[in-house]
Amino acid sequence: MTSKHSTQPDYQTYLQAWGQEKALALLKEMLVIRTFEEKAEELYALGKVHGTMHLSIGQEASAAGASLALRESDYLLNHHRGHGHCLAWGSDVNLMMAEFLGKETGYCRGRGGSMHIANVEANNLGANGIVGGGIPIAVGVGLSIKLRKTDQVVIVMFGDGAANEGAFHESLNMASIWKLPIIYYCENNQYAMSMAVKRAFNIERISQRACAYGIPGVTMDGNDLFAVYAAVSEAVERARAGNGPTLVEAETYRWRGHSKSDRQAYRTREEVKAWQKKDPIRHYARALGLDDAGMERYRAEASEIIDQAVAFAEASPEPSIDTILEGVYA
Amino acid sequence: MRELSYAEALRECLRQTMTADERVFMIGEDIGIYGGAFGVSAGLLAEFGKERIIDTPISEAGLAGACIGAALTGMRPVGEIQFMDFVALSMEQIVLQAAKIRFMFGGKATVPMVLRMPGGSGTGAAAQHSESLENWFVHVPGLKVVMPSNAYDAKGLLRAAIYDDNPVIFVEHKLLYRTKADVPEEPYEVPLGKSKIVREGSDLTIVATSIMVQRTLQAAEQLAQENIEVEIIDPRTIKPLDSAPIIDSVKKTGRALVVHEAVKMGGFGGEVVSQIVASEAFDYLEAPVRRLAGLDTPIPYNRTLEYHAVPQVENIVDEARKLVQGGY
Amino acid sequence: MAKAVIMPKFGFTQETADIIKWLVQPGTLVEAGDPIAEVTTDKVDMEVEAPATGILDGIRYQEGETVPVTAIIAYIRQPDEALPPPETEAPPAVAPAHPPAQPAGPDTVAVTPVAARVAAHKGVDVEQVVGSGPGGRITRGDVEAFVAQRDAGGSAKVRAAPAGRRRARELDVDVASVKGSGPRGRVQSWDVQAAHATKPAAVPTTEAGVAEVIPLVGMRRTIAQRMQASFQEAPHMTFSAEIDATAMQALRDRLHAGLSAEQPRVSMTAILLKACAWALRRNPRMNARLSEDRILVLSDVNVGIAVALEDGLIVPVVHHADAKGILELAAEVTAVSSRARAGKLRSQDLMGGTFTISNLGMFGVDSFTAIINPPETGILAVGRIVRRLVVMSDDDVAIRPMMTITLSADHRTVDGAIAAHFLNDLRSALEYPALMTM
Repeated sequence: MTSKHSTQPDYQTYLQAWGQEKALALLKEMLVIRTFEEKAEELYALGKVHGTMHLSIGQEASAAGASLALRESDYLLNHHRGHGHCLAWGSDVNLMMAEFLGKETGYCRGRGGSMHIANVEANNLGANGIVGGGIPIAVGVGLSIKLRKTDQVVIVMFGDGAANEGAFHESLNMASIWKLPIIYYCENNQYAMSMAVKRAFNIERISQRACAYGIPGVTMDGNDLFAVYAAVSEAVERARAGNGPTLVEAETYRWRGHSKSDRQAYRTREEVKAWQKKDPIRHYARALGLDDAGMERYRAEASEIIDQAVAFAEASPEPSIDTILEGVYA
Repeated sequence: MRELSYAEALRECLRQTMTADERVFMIGEDIGIYGGAFGVSAGLLAEFGKERIIDTPISEAGLAGACIGAALTGMRPVGEIQFMDFVALSMEQIVLQAAKIRFMFGGKATVPMVLRMPGGSGTGAAAQHSESLENWFVHVPGLKVVMPSNAYDAKGLLRAAIYDDNPVIFVEHKLLYRTKADVPEEPYEVPLGKSKIVREGSDLTIVATSIMVQRTLQAAEQLAQENIEVEIIDPRTIKPLDSAPIIDSVKKTGRALVVHEAVKMGGFGGEVVSQIVASEAFDYLEAPVRRLAGLDTPIPYNRTLEYHAVPQVENIVDEARKLVQGGY
Repeated sequence: MAKAVIMPKFGFTQETADIIKWLVQPGTLVEAGDPIAEVTTDKVDMEVEAPATGILDGIRYQEGETVPVTAIIAYIRQPDEALPPPETEAPPAVAPAHPPAQPAGPDTVAVTPVAARVAAHKGVDVEQVVGSGPGGRITRGDVEAFVAQRDAGGSAKVRAAPAGRRRARELDVDVASVKGSGPRGRVQSWDVQAAHATKPAAVPTTEAGVAEVIPLVGMRRTIAQRMQASFQEAPHMTFSAEIDATAMQALRDRLHAGLSAEQPRVSMTAILLKACAWALRRNPRMNARLSEDRILVLSDVNVGIAVALEDGLIVPVVHHADAKGILELAAEVTAVSSRARAGKLRSQDLMGGTFTISNLGMFGVDSFTAIINPPETGILAVGRIVRRLVVMSDDDVAIRPMMTITLSADHRTVDGAIAAHFLNDLRSALEYPALMTM
């Protein structure tokens, strides 16, 4: 098995295949993700959010491109920087915002919050607050699919930091020997909190680790929606065909700190600015032939959607204290 | 009635549930051709195939996660941790994932899985293969903890655990695997969260778990010859704990002793004692409520030291006698 | 509109941040995302970024100032824009994580949980207890002080099994009277059972010649214990004096004449109280108590008034009696007496007494001696006022309202001379009330 860096796909072929409506919908989706997080940041600064949050601003193409390659019947296991994946999975932005504000109407009735948004009914098996926590669970989902003999697959999202957890090793090995339909999707955003990938790995690409498990590994530009879609599609095809898991690595960058209390002493403003020039949304818009002015109406649409979500969330009731023990046991 | 060993009773339950229900499967280390370290799954590979009797690499976190993922998506996995000690390697998945997924997701997910694991000392397996760690799990909201003390309960409790919609930690005891009891052939459930009065008596209530139930029964026979009648209660499920029969019993006898193998400090016995003294039974106490439990030490290898590290029949007899005859 | 720059919240528990340095001067053009200020929290130093592109202006907090999170610290305006008026807007209200405790209504008594439990257990009506906690909340200490006053003493610690205590309650056996057979003499339930079974015809109704049995419990028991202790421990000296009550009666009548119908009458007790307080000030050794091997001369003069109840006696205290006028004392005596009879005394009503007056004049008693109310030094027993023939200083015989007062004093703290001096001062004050104004 090999690990490779993907080549740049032919955008026009994809755009023609999708048609204008779908192509624009993807742009809108990424704008909604970004606006959601910008609003989240604003609400936090205003003191309206209890706890912390992890923003994926700058990583929108990774979320939108990966989801695009999957079906509604497939499974998602998400990580703590997961607002984007959740939205790309088709989640209701109102229910997400309500969860974010800890309201009873939220996806998890306000019990989960930013880090644990799930929608099991829609096969979104939840975001995870433990680094790498979802990786072993994906083995079980893969096993379940195999035992139930369906053609589903499961994508498990994790960051570069999780690839250095012991559970990563156990799980990729088990998934490989049992040929489970799993897409191990590593979002390499260059930092595990303050630990730079360059300091934490002595290999060029995280996807090279796939070789150790006898599965394919691929690294692609995570800020290029087309490249993400192409790489994940290939992994999904392989999984659905019963040929086992793939380790997919998306190279991207988080524009914000790890969480809200991160002063980002470990990186330079210049480095952040350099990555901001590779804005995944703007990059995609250019492929659609839209300049910033042309994007403006879609940005405004996204703002409206998010403002409505905030209004919904703020008008929603708080969970009642007498329900505090609900959901502990079935 | 037909006698089965504890291990055979467990195996019969697994066979019956797997035959009747395709959602049930087993996963663990060396459970296939090897038949499990203590032989519980012996022969099941031939019956159900490697698809449903899944041998894993030595990957305790991975196998716990595999149970969670499968349970989340409609299956009813039964995982086996080869020795209870090794569950330390699975703790993240059990405590941070399985136990709280349902809660974190607002009660909208279920994780119906069972993790079986043999605990306990007495086999000379020394410090890393002899632990009794059940109280770690008692302290975690979202988990249930079951400790069968005999073959009959083992079969019925395992079935109830498999059909419970919560993650269940199922603690077996190495020395009990070969003990026999009358076990009906047809499938049955022993409900979770129901204590059992194993022996009736008027002088002293002893609450014992797992193998300590057997040792207490032996102690009670000796004590009866001294006209000390012991009432023995086996909680069977230590979380949730059915404490009402314990409290009623203490109101009757006026004295209570809790016996378990796990280390006394921070052990389950403390919880039982506190529930007794916090209840109406307090006003019926004739003596301090006592605990008899493992010493605060890892299990030693040496046979004599190992024997003395945990309660034995004679310790129970002595302690009971002192309690009843005014030693405390 | 100009965009407000707010002090962001960086941490879970952060409430404020200090501005270390403004990185950009007012009037400078900044781009969205540019750092404009360095701030510090208790945890870390952070940068505040410009929320929009425009001109930084309207700085509201200077370097070194502490700013609540979410407060506006400056504005980013466009070149053609004015700053908003500098009204001080409140930061957005953050819903409290827990609903604030309901303020206690005017009619409810705030009681700490443990105090409530102790009160319930000891049968104390918390409305009678005066709280010393925050906002007048009644604490465990307040209840215990109340109980100590109500029934000081109580049985010594008895070792008994919980079951022994329960059985004792059920059989109405005093667990202290039972000999325990358990370890270290612990009373077991069967000990209580046995004691109950062998109680020698203890059931009183069967006792010949006894019409009624009144258990020595509660207040009765307290009085019994305290009076016995006082009589056994304090060597009582008694001193009597015949007082001409003419001036007292005249004073009372004069005061009554100035009172409206609603104002409480002035009792002789109030005048006695005033006179005692005055005499105590002049004889501080009478206003003292014994504390082990020391005599503590007390700074406050707090005079207790014995009030007869249906079955018992209670001594509410008028504090700082020496500093109060007769009318004020009269009102207080009326108030505490009625509170005492209604069972509504507050704990402070019962605490801190330094001297006691027991007036049985209204019961037709001519004279009597009283037992000192420990740990006080003296008690004044007051008889009725009766008109008698008196030989006056000019050898004339006159009919005068006379009253016998008897002082009991603790010989451990004072000698006869001091007590006599006090009694003479008291007589002077009662016969020539104007002395008290000098």
